[in-house]
This record gives sequence, C-alpha cells and structure tokens, in this order.
Amino acid sequence: MLAMDQGVVEEWLSEFKTLPDSAVSNYASSLKDKGALVPALYKVIRENYSDLLEPVCHQLFEFYRSGEPQLQRFTLQFLPELLWSLLSVSAARDPHTSGCIEALLLGIYNLEIVDKDGQSKVLSFTVPSLSKPSVYHEPSAIGSIALTEGALANHGLSRVVYSGPHLQRETFTAQNRFEVLTFLLLCYNAALSYMTSTSLQSLCQLSSRVCICGYPRQHLRRYKGISARLTVTSDFLVQLITGIHYALCNGEVELGSKALDDVLYRAQLELFPEALLVGNAIKSSLHGAALKSNNKEGARSIQVEITPTSSRISRNAVTSLSIRGHRWKRHDAVDLGSPDELMDISEVDEGVWPGSAGPDMTPPTITISNSVTTLNLGAKAMKKCRFGGRSSKDKDKDVGLPTTGRAASDNTELSVKRLTLTSSQSVPKAGALTSLTRTASAVFSRSFEQVASGSAPPSSNHTASEAGRYSCSLQEDGMGYLSPAPNHTQRSPSISVHLGTDL
Amino acid sequence: MTARKSGSRLETELERCRSECQWDKIPELVRQLSAKLISNDDLGELLLGECKLQTYLKENPIKQGASPRGPRPKLVEVRKHLTAALDRGNLKADYLQEASLLMAKLCYVEGEYRDALGHYSRVNMDDMQLVGAPVYRLSMIAEAYATKGLCLEKVPAVSPSLSNKNTSSPMSNRNTVDREQEIITCYEKSGDIALLYLQEAEKVCLVIFFLMFSPICALPSLSDLELGYFLETGLQRAHVIHFKNGNLTRGVGRFREILRAVENRTTQSLRMTIARQLAEILLRGMCEQSYWSPLEDPPTVSPLDDPTRQGQAHSKNYSLSRRPRVYSGENLFCPQENTEEALLLLLISESMANRDAVLSRIPEHNNDRIISLQSASVVYDLLTIALGRRGQYEMLSECLERAMKFAFEEFHLWYQLALSLMAAGKSARAVKVLKECIRLKPDEPTIPLLAVKLCIGPLHWLDEGECFAKMVIDMGEKAVEFRAKGYLAIGLVYSLKATDASLRSTQEEYQRKALGAFQRSLAQSLSPTDHLAAFYLALQLAVSRQIPEALGYVRQALQLQGDDVHSLHLLALLLSAQKHYHDALNIIEMALSEYPENFNLLYTKVKLESMCRGPEEALLTCKHMLQIWKSFYNLTNPSDSGRGSSLLDRAIADRRQLNAMTLPDFSDPETGSVHATSIAASRVEQALSEVASSLQSSAPKQGPMHPWMTLAQIWLHAAEVYTSMSKPAEATACTQEAANLFPTSHNVLYMRGQIAELRGNLDEAKRWYEEALSINPTHVKTMQRLGLILHQLQRYSLSEKVLRDAVQVNSTAHDVWNSLGEVLQAQGNAAAATECFLTALELEASSPILPFTIIPRAL
Repeated sequence: MLAMDQGVVEEWLSEFKTLPDSAVSNYASSLKDKGALVPALYKVIRENYSDLLEPVCHQLFEFYRSGEPQLQRFTLQFLPELLWSLLSVSAARDPHTSGCIEALLLGIYNLEIVDKDGQSKVLSFTVPSLSKPSVYHEPSAIGSIALTEGALANHGLSRVVYSGPHLQRETFTAQNRFEVLTFLLLCYNAALSYMTSTSLQSLCQLSSRVCICGYPRQHLRRYKGISARLTVTSDFLVQLITGIHYALCNGEVELGSKALDDVLYRAQLELFPEALLVGNAIKSSLHGAALKSNNKEGARSIQVEITPTSSRISRNAVTSLSIRGHRWKRHDAVDLGSPDELMDISEVDEGVWPGSAGPDMTPPTITISNSVTTLNLGAKAMKKCRFGGRSSKDKDKDVGLPTTGRAASDNTELSVKRLTLTSSQSVPKAGALTSLTRTASAVFSRSFEQVASGSAPPSSNHTASEAGRYSCSLQEDGMGYLSPAPNHTQRSPSISVHLGTDL
Repeated sequence: MTARKSGSRLETELERCRSECQWDKIPELVRQLSAKLISNDDLGELLLGECKLQTYLKENPIKQGASPRGPRPKLVEVRKHLTAALDRGNLKADYLQEASLLMAKLCYVEGEYRDALGHYSRVNMDDMQLVGAPVYRLSMIAEAYATKGLCLEKVPAVSPSLSNKNTSSPMSNRNTVDREQEIITCYEKSGDIALLYLQEAEKVCLVIFFLMFSPICALPSLSDLELGYFLETGLQRAHVIHFKNGNLTRGVGRFREILRAVENRTTQSLRMTIARQLAEILLRGMCEQSYWSPLEDPPTVSPLDDPTRQGQAHSKNYSLSRRPRVYSGENLFCPQENTEEALLLLLISESMANRDAVLSRIPEHNNDRIISLQSASVVYDLLTIALGRRGQYEMLSECLERAMKFAFEEFHLWYQLALSLMAAGKSARAVKVLKECIRLKPDEPTIPLLAVKLCIGPLHWLDEGECFAKMVIDMGEKAVEFRAKGYLAIGLVYSLKATDASLRSTQEEYQRKALGAFQRSLAQSLSPTDHLAAFYLALQLAVSRQIPEALGYVRQALQLQGDDVHSLHLLALLLSAQKHYHDALNIIEMALSEYPENFNLLYTKVKLESMCRGPEEALLTCKHMLQIWKSFYNLTNPSDSGRGSSLLDRAIADRRQLNAMTLPDFSDPETGSVHATSIAASRVEQALSEVASSLQSSAPKQGPMHPWMTLAQIWLHAAEVYTSMSKPAEATACTQEAANLFPTSHNVLYMRGQIAELRGNLDEAKRWYEEALSINPTHVKTMQRLGLILHQLQRYSLSEKVLRDAVQVNSTAHDVWNSLGEVLQAQGNAAAATECFLTALELEASSPILPFTIIPRAL
C-alpha cells in the first residue's frame, strides 16, 4: 500500500469525526470529489491484514449509521468487496482475521432489519392484478383474463412479503451466514442505480469467484485465490443475479456476462431451480438485444427505436383472439345440436356433465369441471355446483333455428377439433345463479364478453337482469399435451368454465 | 331551405370521409359541392389537394428511418390545388390553416424542409383549437407537429457551420439545447394530440356503429385505421430522443404519459411495445431507491440521467387546451415500487401477447407464429426476472403455464415452466414437465438431475428417480462434469430403496448397489473437492454398520467441507456407535456453535446428554429448543394481511388440518428415515402442504406444518427424558402437548404406551402400542415394546411373531433381537435364543445413539 493512499485514508478517517451534525449532508455530497479515496479504500479492504482495516470498517459503519442516504450508499458500494473478503477468509478457515468486517456487515444487517421504531421490518410489495383498474389499464379492456385457480384464489390486490421479519444476529455462523448476506445483497440491489462501475465490477467478480472456486471451471477462469468450495444458497445466487443483470445492462457487459455464466454453471451443478430460472430468463431476454460495451462513461445500453404500430401478425392467421370468435359459432351450434353429440363432447372432456340431457326436464347446470380429480381447496368447494332451472335446448329451439344450416357444418368441425367446451347451457333464472355467478361476475365481470342478443323473446321465466352471454374461458386445455403417467394422478389447475345466460 | 340542408349534409359527409380516411370518395363529393356554390371552389381545391396527397402517401408510404426524396411528378397536381386554395384567400380561417398545414406536409414529402418550416411559421399551431375540432383536424394538427419536429431535426440550428455538436462556445451550446427542447416539445405535442385523435376517432366510429345497429363484424373497419408515418413518429420520437440523450427520467415520464392515456384499438400494439420497454427499463436500469411512482413528480437529480447532460428540464413545459383522456376513477392501483410497476406492465403486455398467440401451425403462418412467440417469450422472460426477484414462484408458475399455448417444441418455455413449478414446490407436475424437456433436449444432464432431485426428495418416487439417474450416467462423454452427480443420484436412490425394502435380501442388495454407486461417484469426481460423494459413502457404510470405514470417509468429507452440518452429525453418530459418547457430544456441541438452530443436531444432543451428563442437562436442552423454536417461528408481523403474517400465524390457520395427519417418524425431522409406511402416512401431509404453499408463495421450503412437527418432536423428546427419569406425570404433560398438535401420531401413542408401562399398567400400555401400530404398522420401537409386554403377559408365540416382524423391518435393531432372544428362551428354544443374543450383542457394539438414517439424504 502506497504511502499516498494511506495518507488519503487517514485524512478521511479523521475529518468525519470532527464534523458537526449540520455539515454532514454537505460532507456527504463532497465525498464524490475525492478521487483517490475510493480506490484507496478498496485496497485497504483487499489487503486483509492492513492496520487501517479496523478503523476503516468502523468509519464505514458510522457512515451507515448516520442515516444520511449518500453516506449509506458510500458504505454500500464496498459491500461486494467486503462480502468477498469475508467469504474467502471463512473458506480459508481462518476465523480471526475478518472480525471487523464481520462486525461491519452484521452492524449494517442489524440496522436494516428494523424500522425507525425498532420493530422488525418486513419488506412487502403489492402483486398487481389485471382485474383491478390501475393507472395503466381498465379491466374491461383486457379481453380475457386468464381465469386460473390462482386468479380465483387471490383476485384483487394482495400484499406479499418478500423478505423478513429477520432475527437480530450477533455472530456469523455457518447456518446464518447466507441468510445475512442475502439480505445485505438485497439492500445493495435496492441502491443499484447509485453504485459506481467499480462497485458493479467488484460485484461481478464476487459472483464469479463464489461460484467457481473449487470447481473445474476455476482453472478456465485462471483464478488462483482460494480453491475451497464455498457453500451457497439459491436465494443468495438470485440476489447476485439481480445485481449482475443491472451491471450487464449498464456498461459492464464483459464482466457481467462472464459472471452470469458462472452463476448459471454453479446453479446447474447445485440443481437450484430458482437461480436457473432467473438466470435463464436474463440470458434469453438479452439474447436479442445487442449490448453495447462500455464505450462511453456510464453508457446505458437501454435503447429504444421507433417500432411500427400496426400488428405484425397477418390477419388471417388463427390466433387466440380470433379463435374465440370461432368458438362462439360452434357454441351456438352445440346448443342446437342433438343430445347425442352433446354427450360426445362431454365424454371427451372428462368433465362433469349434467347427465341425461333430456330436452324437456333437465335442469340447466353450471358445471365447473376439472379434467383430473383433486384441486386446490378453493376450487374443490366450487366443484360440481349445480343450479336449478330449465334446460337450454328447448328454449333455443324457438330462438335460433334459422342458423341450423351453418350450425350443422360447424358441428362436424367441432367433433374433429375437440374444443375445450365443457358445458354450455343456458340459465334462464338469474336468481338461480346465486353465489357462483355473483362471485364470478364480481371478479371478472369486466372480462366477460358481452354479445348483444336483442332477438330473444321475452319470457316470464327470464327475470335475468343482465342480458347476454358471458364466457370466461380459462386455461385452455391446461396441460393436456402432457401424457400423464398412469400411476400418479396429479392435480391439474386447468378448469374450464362456460357460463351461458341466454335470453 | 333544402339546398342549405343538403349543403350541411354534404359537409357532414365530407367531414366523415376525411375522418375515416376514405379519400376515394372525396372527388365525387367535391363535384357535388362545387355544383352548390361558386365560393366552394377554394374548399374544393383544398380537399382535392388533400385527398391526392393522402392517396399518394398511402400508395408510397414513408419508411421509418428513410428520408423523403425530392419532388415527385405525381405531387405536382397536389401543389397546384393547394396553391390555388391558398392564393385566392377566400377560404375561411380554419380552412386556410388546413391548407397551410397540408402545404407544409407536401414540402416535407418533397424534401423542402425550410419551406415547410416557413409554412408552419405562418400558422400559429399553438392557437389551433383542439376543443370541438372535428376529428380529422386533430389528426392534421398532430401530423403537423410531428412534421415540424422532423423538419427541425433536418434543418441545422443556426447556420450549417455552427450546427456541429462539438462546438464548445456556450452560446451555440445554449442554442442546441433550446433547439433540442423545441424538437422534443413538437413531438410530445404531436403524440398527445395523436392520442386524443385516436380516442375521438374511435368514439365517433362507435357512435356510428351503434346508430347503424350493424353486426359485430362491421367493426374491423375501425382497426383499419392505421397511424401512418407521421403519427407514428409523433408518438414515439420524443422518448427515443430522450433515451438517446441518456435522459432516462424524461423518457420514462413520456412512456408513462402514453400508457396512462386510455387505450383504443389502434394504440394496442404500441402500448404493448411501450409497456414492455418500460418494464425493461424498470428492471434493468432502476432500483428501489431511484424509483418514483407514476403519479409523483420525478426527482430533480437522478442517478439515471447522463450526468454530463444535467440541467435539462425534467418535466414537460407546455400545455395543451385539451389532453387525451387518461385512466381515472376511484381506487386506481398505482404502483409504488419498480417491481410492482414492471409486473403490472408485464401482465398487461402478457394479456395482449397471449391474445395474439398464433395457433395455426400451417407453414404459411410460420412467420407469424415466430413473431408472436418472440414477443411473448420476451414478456415471459421479463416476468420471470421480476417475480423471481421477489420470490413469487407460485404466481410465476401460473403465468408460465399460460405461455404453454406457445410452447409446442419450444424448449426454453418448457424448461422455464418446469423450473418454476419446482421452485413453487409443485414437484409432481414439475417432473412431468421435465420429462418433456428431456424429450426436447436429450443431451442436457441438468434436466434429469433436477428430476431425480425431486424424485428423491419431496416425491419419493424411487423407481422414476432410478430411470432419470441412469439417463445421466448413460450420457457418458457428453456430461463429464455431471457423471459424478449421476452416480451420486443413483446411489441415493438405492440407499433409500434399501431403507424401504422389507426383505432382508433386497435390502442388502440395494445397500451393495448404493455403496458401489457412491464409490464410483467418488472416483468420477473430476475435482477432488466434492465432499458429497465421500459423505454419502460414509453414511451408507455407517448404515450397513461398517463403522471404521465410515469414519475414514466422513473425515475425508470433513476435510473438504469443514463446516458441513451433515458430515459433523454423522461423525458424532459414528462416535456414539463406538460408544465414545463424550467425544460425540463434543462434536455435536461444535456443530451447534455453527448451526445453533438445527433441531436435528439438538435431538441428538438431548440423547447424548441424558447418556453422559444425566437427564437434567438434557431437559435444559429441551427447554433451550423450545426457546429457539419460539424465536424462530414466532416473529410477529405488524402488517397482518393473512398472506404476510408470521409463520406461526400462517400455520395456525391450518391447524384444523392437523387432526387429519400424523407426525412422521419420531426421529426424522426433515427427510430422514423415510420408510414406506411412514411415507404413506405423511403423504396426506405432503398434499396438504402443497395446497397450503400455493396459498402463500413466500413460504419457506418446508410446508407450513413443519414448525408444528418440530414443536411436537421437542415435546416428545422431553417426554422421553422424563420417562427415563421415571417421572410419569411430567412425561404425560409433555406428551399431552404433542398430542394437542398431532393426536393421531403413532409417536404420541407410543410415548403414551411407555408412560403406561412406567406406571406398571401393562394392559393400558398394550392398548396404546396396538393403536400406534394400527397407524404405522412398521414402527419398530413400538413392535419391540409390544413384544416385550406380550412376553410379560406370557403370550410367547404372539410376542415372537411381533418381534420377528420387527426384525424383518429393521434387521439392525439390537434391542429387538435381544427381546426376541428372551422370548425364544422362554419358549425353550435355547439354540435360536443364543443366536439372537449373539446378533444383538454384535449389533449393539455398532449401534449409534440415534439411527443413522435421521440424517437426510437429498441431492
């Protein structure tokens, strides 16, 4: 360590102590201008045995404790380097040399896990839902909300905890080490935009080293620090990947992609699904985007171009949207078709079908069928709910006979194509729909397509207030393409619901 | 009267045609118009000029990035019409403005940017009325602003020599900044008015549609409304410039303005692109601390902006008399965090991408399909990044399932789905999807390994696991780095099968196979730094009671990974098998200093302590365990919203399910000692915890039952210590605590039997043991106690039967052999009895304090 560096650090150590409280924020913004300071501090941290390490750690902690955001970020920028220092020492099983780094990291951790009143802090966020209006959308405009089990279970906005509450920690143990470090990385990631490129580079290096030490790839990367394997957790890797992603997109293309590769390599060997998932997604999403390397200082590789606004998909291709129109035609056809054909469809779908669909006396039934047996609790409760009423078919006879010709041709098509029609019945009594419809329409009313049907004749039975036909088309076919192993019946969250209220 | 009426009808018709861009009808209407009044001639010229210009542009659209080139012969006529309209000056002010704007547009098309700007300067565009203006005029104004922006970009700022950006004089620098600002303002106004125009246009069309009662298929005429070069530029050029200049704050602001405007059919595709791009920026270029919500003002200084360009205005500095409608209403959800906003945007894009999924597989639609797949998979990748960051794998797996309509033969989507299912704890489905992944990419060793991991772990599908592991091994040279892992996997499968096997010969066969596999794994390890192979070899040797060999390998494993908790635990158990109880206790205490909250170690500690230091110490440890349990699971959470409450609260919600399930085997807190029947008993638990984990996605790995099981086991351990101290009352109290949690657990019933025995109540004990066995018929310890009681009741042959069954289940239980010997002796079968005693003696010499199988075996 050069004497000059030492001088810079010593000056930095002394000046903060004498600072009055009122001058702290000015001091914080002036730190940027001390060009030689940050590299000198990096050197201190890297050289584990430096005499300055302890006062430096102490000072960094004082910075963090001051609560001044700029000072906190100043400390945070060294976090990757500090983590590496800690991990490499612990891998070398030399527990006494990194005491002050441990103390610093634990100090930051213990400060961050509580809020201002000293209560355990819980980090949570709201999961947005398309069924609730937002500043960017209106539920009615989103044509078909995928009505999955999950959507049914937690419709609306829900707050989800993603970190916390955490326990205060006094020492690092093998058991809590990665829990603490993961949380610290979370704090670091929350301030990524403020991190210098040196800090991001250090993060990439940390990621690479943690992941490859002790594995064959270490030779490939020609890193000769330590050769013991470091235990990692999947959550820790996910946090690393988040940081790497930012680095990758903000100038550190080379180091970043190397680090991402190394993390994925380790995740493969450890069989960590979470890290693989996020890492693969980042790789695939950056695949198309040509990343510009660090050409200018701070060059962001976020670029947008003017894109054509017309749909790039040709009109005559069958899409999910266009097929919905198709289905409606067939849907009509089913209503008019003979009972035999109806039975065929129901068998194909393994659904619960209203059974002997005699044209005159069968009550119309709303059937929620799920192709395989067990479902989530919520869905279980809804399974097989039937409602009284009159059958659709006899009614439809006096309504829609003129279209029989087209319907017949569609019917043949239907039997070939095997649609996901589960049940299509008319429910004349709105009152009979009771809870299910109410729930469904409360949640998804906006998503239903309302097809005007002004031609229905008035009838005394039809007290339904809403005219029209609702359809919620769920998860088409679910996992139908999978050939299920005969031994293990699995719950499959594919439900098909078709509510029809014809008037 | 009639003339005037027909005149106004004509005007309405003209307005409609212009709004709907039906240029082909204009000439006929102009002919009718001119027939009415001479003074209409000028208007006629204007209209003819407009319709010819628009028709030309429709036939020769300008491409993005291409500059218009020089005068076109076809446009000569247009110029003639427009000049005629302008020159005579008879037009009403409104029409005069329109004529000027059209003229300027023509100039732009011909490449005469300065002339175009000249025309614009004659019309004060900012004064043009937006309120009450006909629809077509909105479009015209929007185009005019865009065109003006384009011209300003083409024409150098002051003079050609000064326009060079490198000029350092502050004056010209000032000029460039102002100029840039003017350009951006032009584009932003153009974009705003364009959005307004599109909203109005759709409204008008809808009104017409409803008035005409036309069938639904008439609507598409609406979506034919295409934006064209000028409006497209106006809508997008502003943010493109912002990002090019490194001004992220304003770019994001502009994106949000466009997205907040109520959508219509024409803007859908644009919105989808912009929503995705904004999500990308939020995920790639922002963090929690640099985020500001869409309804807040942006920060004045932001790390997101290019520092060299600080000082630019951060918000827009113009106002319009009318702005596009934005989403409004009560309780609008407004994101407060970058992940929230990214998620919302991605969900919106996803719903659109999903709608555009091309389903037909005929070759003509190949391109369309690829386009729809690409745009969707970008969205799904970003969703994965956003949700993965927040650990919401449950929701992610649901989203990715919706991607399955794109997924035919698409490995990436299948693999991501499989991984998300795995991360969400939906193991069985994950294995099925992984099978499809293997079919699509048979060379990839990670996939079958992931499947084995699930088969060995939560699913306990050993036969499937064996198949997958063999796949990895058979990959040979292609997967060198993974072959060691493959052998490890198959070794674990055999090892677990050996534990499950009820026939002694099968058991030994599997043990032999497992040992072989672990040895190969150890040999295959490319690097000598893999401790797992050595550890599992040691564990397998220990299970087959080759204690000294096992000690050797566990030391090897510890050299490689000194703080591995399982290796330390195994070492302690091996030492206890050699009856070095104090050493074992030391090792456990050392391990506990690194893993103070590991209940598995603590159970062993309780056992060892009651052995070497007396039951009082052991009771203290039990108390300590209860404290740890409390601090661990009883962290209360202020924001109590059902989903986000403390672990304990979550679990309490599920307590009603507790009655329906049993506690897994006494000494297997995590995965250890899995035996076929105890698995059957805990299947229910698995199913329930899968359900429960789908309710709260941020849950830890184990189901919500886990804390309760741990608690029950702590109580049972305490009860055992009390029984060993001959304190039946305390033991009963402890057992009761456990019974409150798991009333039908065989462990609870077994403990009750022991207490009854302690009280000398043999009949009651027998009844408890029989109940325990009816729940878990292979619980060896119960069988042994029951055998003993039957022996005392002098029902020798039944006792012998029970004990023989117990030996069949676990041939290494020395106390069972001992009891069997006693029964045989009592029956007078001295020779067989001797053999049993000898076996018991031999086994006892290598018996650990707790079975080796309490150490979990997992990949």
